[in-house]
Amino acid sequence: MNQAIIQTDRLTKIYNPDTVPVHALRDVSLSFEQGEFTSVVGPSGSGKTTLLNMIGGLDKPTSGSVMIDGVSITGMKDRELIDFRLKNIGFVFQHYNLIPVFTARENVSFIMLLQKRDKAEMMERTEKLLQQVGLRERMDARPKQLSGGQQQRVAVARALASRPKFILADEPTANLDSASAMNLLDIMEKMNREENVTFIFSTHDQRVIDRARRVITMVDGAVESDIATDQKSQTA
Amino acid sequence: MNAKLAWRNLWRNRRRTLITGASIMFAVFFAVLIQSMNRGSHEYMIDNMARFHTGFIQLQDSRFESEPSLDNVFEMDDALFERIAETHPNISFLVPRLETFMLAASEQQTRGAYVMGIEADLEHQLNGLKDHLKSGRFFTPGEGAVVMGEGLAGRLDVAVGDTLVLLGQGRFGTTAAGKFPIAGLVKHPMFEMNDQMVYMSLPDLQWVVSAEGMITTLLVTPERVRDTDVVAASVRESMTENGEFTVKTWPELMPELLQAIEFDMASAYVMSAILYIVIAFGLFGTILMMTLERVREFGVLLSIGMKRPSLSLVLFLESLLIGVIGVLAGCFISFLVVFYFYHHPIPLTGDLAAAIMDFGFEPILPFYLSGSLFLEQAVIVLLLSTLICLYPIIRVFRMDVLQASKA
Ligand SMILES: Nc1ncnc2c1ncn2[C@@H]1O[C@H](COP(=O)(O)OP(=O)(O)OP(=O)(O)O)[C@@H](O)[C@H]1O
Ligand SMILES: [Mg+2]
Repeated sequence: MNQAIIQTDRLTKIYNPDTVPVHALRDVSLSFEQGEFTSVVGPSGSGKTTLLNMIGGLDKPTSGSVMIDGVSITGMKDRELIDFRLKNIGFVFQHYNLIPVFTARENVSFIMLLQKRDKAEMMERTEKLLQQVGLRERMDARPKQLSGGQQQRVAVARALASRPKFILADEPTANLDSASAMNLLDIMEKMNREENVTFIFSTHDQRVIDRARRVITMVDGAVESDIATDQKSQTA
Repeated sequence: MNAKLAWRNLWRNRRRTLITGASIMFAVFFAVLIQSMNRGSHEYMIDNMARFHTGFIQLQDSRFESEPSLDNVFEMDDALFERIAETHPNISFLVPRLETFMLAASEQQTRGAYVMGIEADLEHQLNGLKDHLKSGRFFTPGEGAVVMGEGLAGRLDVAVGDTLVLLGQGRFGTTAAGKFPIAGLVKHPMFEMNDQMVYMSLPDLQWVVSAEGMITTLLVTPERVRDTDVVAASVRESMTENGEFTVKTWPELMPELLQAIEFDMASAYVMSAILYIVIAFGLFGTILMMTLERVREFGVLLSIGMKRPSLSLVLFLESLLIGVIGVLAGCFISFLVVFYFYHHPIPLTGDLAAAIMDFGFEPILPFYLSGSLFLEQAVIVLLLSTLICLYPIIRVFRMDVLQASKA
């Protein structure tokens, strides 16, 4: 019933091929399905960020390809890629996610504005999403007035706002205390369960890893293991 | 939303934006002031010179230029005057003159004189001639009396009540000569004219030179000096088509004056340019800082799907907004100041004032007031803002999304 929305084919990335080559990814072939809740783990420098950047169309592979919903993004031009990201991919970064001069509400609706969504829908959806991430009361606060955890929740709401095919989150909890981290995970999990939103996130945190239903372990740029875990392991 | 983003970005560092805006404001203020005083004094100068000397616009017989003789006069004709007056709404009034050179002699001396037949009331309306009367009175038409420049009277050693002999050539080679009582002396504001001028009533001079009903020159007076070109163009268009007349404007008639003014203008422009170069560096510094400190933010925006042209638009708006704030503030305060001094010109004192009064002009520092004064500064600042925002825009277009996010 589930179909592959992301497929990488022998994805390889070599940084500085001419001077000091760094093999950040080696022949990574993975496939992700709609509705996944997947964690990419591995030691520092193992290629997690590189992999997520490749899938998100933020970086180009040295060889191999990335297909999203049957479309190869590997050969796309910069302009096409920006547009593709806007329409298909939600991003949550580790930090500096939000536009500092915009309120939480504006940050969320901004992406829908970029997508040229209908205004009424935009406002309604913004409020609904901020409510879902538990920030109904703080909608008009600017990022500076929010805690790190609250900011990341706004970032998740923004990523969801664009109705992406999947959301990529590179170490979204790295800057958070554990209570905030678990709270963020709760929200992501709820979105995943209730709305079938696909999440792929990288992390170092064992408790975050425990919540994933699929754990891909990278070592030295290659996939070392790819394990589907028990779906019911939801207690932190 | 783009405008909102740009606007809020400006106020992230309020003090920096205010300082930049204020520096633009002062540049605009001083540039407007320099230009206003510069153009004000030029208009004043042109106005005074033209009124006494050549007029602003002259209509002549087309042959008069190559051969300025009384053979090339034209008829003063009411229909013709009406036709000219109707060519442009900004024509204030017309002044006819009959001009010729003659020999002026007293019992002791003989000098070349510039003899002008005038309608004294119209001439007075143009340049307040009667106010320059130093002694005696003005002539009445038909009386055959003259009013002459003090300088010339001194050289000829004559005074009011004496008789002046004029000798010259009339129309078509006739001899023109006569004896004329001196009714009054004027102190002419312009030295060379003070030493040459002999005024006579127009019909009297027409009779002397056998050119009844004829004039050499018709001065067309526009409402304002700055209307000269448009008015001249209209007059030229309708009066020169069959080659009968030529139309000349004060810059053509007084090229030395134009040159002096252009030189003066050039120095004012250089000053303004220096002012703006300094300001441009200030604005560039601000824009540079605003760009460098936000590279990572730009990276995030491009990552989530903001297009480079949209982001560029935001940056353009930021630069433009600072410029607009500065221009509006600058125009506002300079307008207040210029408006005040336009209506209350600064009186000059001391030697300079005395020298100017000697010329018969009021010793004031006049200001120039017109929309173009402000519009020019606005255009300059907005061009500068546009030019300067090219820097962040180029950065955005060259920016590597990943690199930027890591910055
Ligand atoms: N722009 C770059 N230029 C050169 N080498 C790079 C670049 N980006 C990453 N690398 C290298 O590629 C390898 C993989 O890096 P990557 O950031 O993907 O690791 P990671 O698993 O995300 O590490 P971490 O857990 O520390 O975030 C590392 O050896 C890194 O030094
Ligand atoms: Mg990483």
